[in-house]
Amino acid sequence: MTIPIAADLNETALAIFAIVVGITLVITYLASKRMTGAVQFYAAGRAITGPQNGFAVAGDYMSAASFLGIAGLIFLFGFDGFLYSVGFLVAFLTVLFLLSERMRNSGKFTIADVLSFRMNERPARAAAALGTLSVAGFYLIAQMVGAGVLIEALVGIDFNLAVILTGAFMLIYVVFGGMLATTWVQIIKAILLMSATIVLTLFVLAEVGWNPVDLFNEAKAKSPEGDAYLKPGLFLASPIDTVSLGIGLVLGTAGLPHILMRFFTVPDAKAARSSVMWAVALIGAFYVMTTALGFGARAVLGEAGVEAAGTGGNLAAPLLAEELGGGAGTFGGDLFLAVIAAVAFATILAVVAGLVLSASAAMSHDVWSNIVRHGRDSEREEVTVARIAALSIGAVAIFIAVLGGAGLNVSFMVGLAFAVAASANFPALLLSLTWRRFNTTGAVTGVIVGTLSSILLVIISPTVWPGPDSEGGAFGFYDLANPGIVSVPLGFLGCWLGTVLSKEERRAERSFDELYVRSETGLGAEAGTGIGLTGRPAGRTPASAM
Amino acid sequence: MPDEEKGVPGPQSDTAGAEHHPEIDWIAAERSPEFRELIRKRRGFVLPATIFFLVWYFGFIILAGYAEDFMGESIYEGFTVGYLLALTQFIMVWGLGWLYLRRADRAFDPLARKAAETAVEAGRKGRAEAEGPGRFEHPADAGTGRKEVRPS
Repeated sequence: MTIPIAADLNETALAIFAIVVGITLVITYLASKRMTGAVQFYAAGRAITGPQNGFAVAGDYMSAASFLGIAGLIFLFGFDGFLYSVGFLVAFLTVLFLLSERMRNSGKFTIADVLSFRMNERPARAAAALGTLSVAGFYLIAQMVGAGVLIEALVGIDFNLAVILTGAFMLIYVVFGGMLATTWVQIIKAILLMSATIVLTLFVLAEVGWNPVDLFNEAKAKSPEGDAYLKPGLFLASPIDTVSLGIGLVLGTAGLPHILMRFFTVPDAKAARSSVMWAVALIGAFYVMTTALGFGARAVLGEAGVEAAGTGGNLAAPLLAEELGGGAGTFGGDLFLAVIAAVAFATILAVVAGLVLSASAAMSHDVWSNIVRHGRDSEREEVTVARIAALSIGAVAIFIAVLGGAGLNVSFMVGLAFAVAASANFPALLLSLTWRRFNTTGAVTGVIVGTLSSILLVIISPTVWPGPDSEGGAFGFYDLANPGIVSVPLGFLGCWLGTVLSKEERRAERSFDELYVRSETGLGAEAGTGIGLTGRPAGRTPASAM
Repeated sequence: MPDEEKGVPGPQSDTAGAEHHPEIDWIAAERSPEFRELIRKRRGFVLPATIFFLVWYFGFIILAGYAEDFMGESIYEGFTVGYLLALTQFIMVWGLGWLYLRRADRAFDPLARKAAETAVEAGRKGRAEAEGPGRFEHPADAGTGRKEVRPS
């Protein structure tokens, strides 16, 4: 699938990576000593500060797909790759304006807490758990396979071993350290990723005489596409598919369970929104720099680098680093390549840990504790179940990745995760917080329609049917690679139809008025009670102390 | 009753500090002038801001899809319209985010606090009147009960 650029074991990369892993294991040990219960396990005691959570959201969000993937897309296709960067960032306005504070104010650990607040609890929770597990599942498998492929190419470890190592560290963080360890892994990863990207960007700019405009021209000159390289359309040929992608990106982020879960880790709504702003500053700066990496790789490596950069151009950024450090075989080149490889590994670890944690929370808090045990289990039992769930989910993901191997077509899976998030989770969440009439039937129909339509549309899309990246798709009239433009309206339609066609149900436990007042004012919100990694207790805020 | 033991914020979590406020009349709280003022002010910002960013973003995406040549035109020595418009998206996100944060700190938070205080205050009074001061001082069911004092 990819051409290994480090056919032999890259010892420098392994050494750097061992240091990073060592630090994260110490953090996990510290976090495990502070494990006091469910709030600590799922939400780090709600003691994470706004800026810390901003770094953690950035670390949770920027997957290897955005680091290596977008740089690769820009390297290969020019401007179209940058469209992903823009969508991934703008998405955070949806999160900031519509969800982050309301989630913090009215939820506890999971999306289902908010969705089922005023509904018939068991079906609503089951629907929310379905949405969460689908998104986390697809995302996780894509990341695990990606981890195996990348690490095999960059570090020289065998694919299966790379997958198992990634899975093992992911599970150690989550099972022993819970949210606190996961948070700090994500913070460290964000710092590493930002630093590496800044250094590479400076090297690229130095290469073109510190004139960013020259970068475009040099990149264009090195592309056989010429002027078209700086225009849209090389990768996303169909305009309607481009719009569909945009819808999926901008609404999908607001339905990603591992991102939304992060807002339960801060003491109050003010910290939740400030963390979005920190995340937006970091992620925005990062995505601007992806253009320097992508165009820089084109300007420095040229068309000759295309073959070496492999599928999707994933290895363009590491190759660029090697070249800027002095080229293959030189001390600087090897060092740069090793650093980028280690950063990519850390990047994957931080994302998969967040995914497994959110999936295990859905299994234990929603499915086990509330649906199976009717909330009569002890807190200790719930945390134990969460750990078992994390182990099982992790084991299944490792198993699928190893079984499928490097050839498993995962290119559509991240897109599918975003599609389900945008079409199932986002409509149901938004309507439960804003539409008085919305009811359990509506939520269940909406989530099911959103999930199924996303999956079906992706299955019949040209990326999957009849084979990877085939022409035309299963049906002549439908050839969209991105289902958002159809599946998101279908998700909303499902919510609406389910609601208006069902009898107005007797209010289950609590009213829309209660959810509305709580979510907007923070009245009675879960307070921060936990202890941070440094042992500093979380402060209570005026709103939550009332 | 098992149905009252589940949910968010659940009584099962003894370390989390979610207050259940069984005394609050949520319907009255939702209709209070303080709460309406908060909703009006916040909506006055969030609704236009959301419409603006969606229009600006999808305008950009539609141009990228349908006006490839326009997006590829050079403004300055090879710096294209498309890249400039993409950069405006970044500036828009940072700008709107910053504006929202400032508004929230200065205007929405104080209003939210006031609305919450009013609701708690009204709830205390209502409960004291309905059940007498003795009952109020020993809210035996405060942990799990979700009884609401409602106007009938």
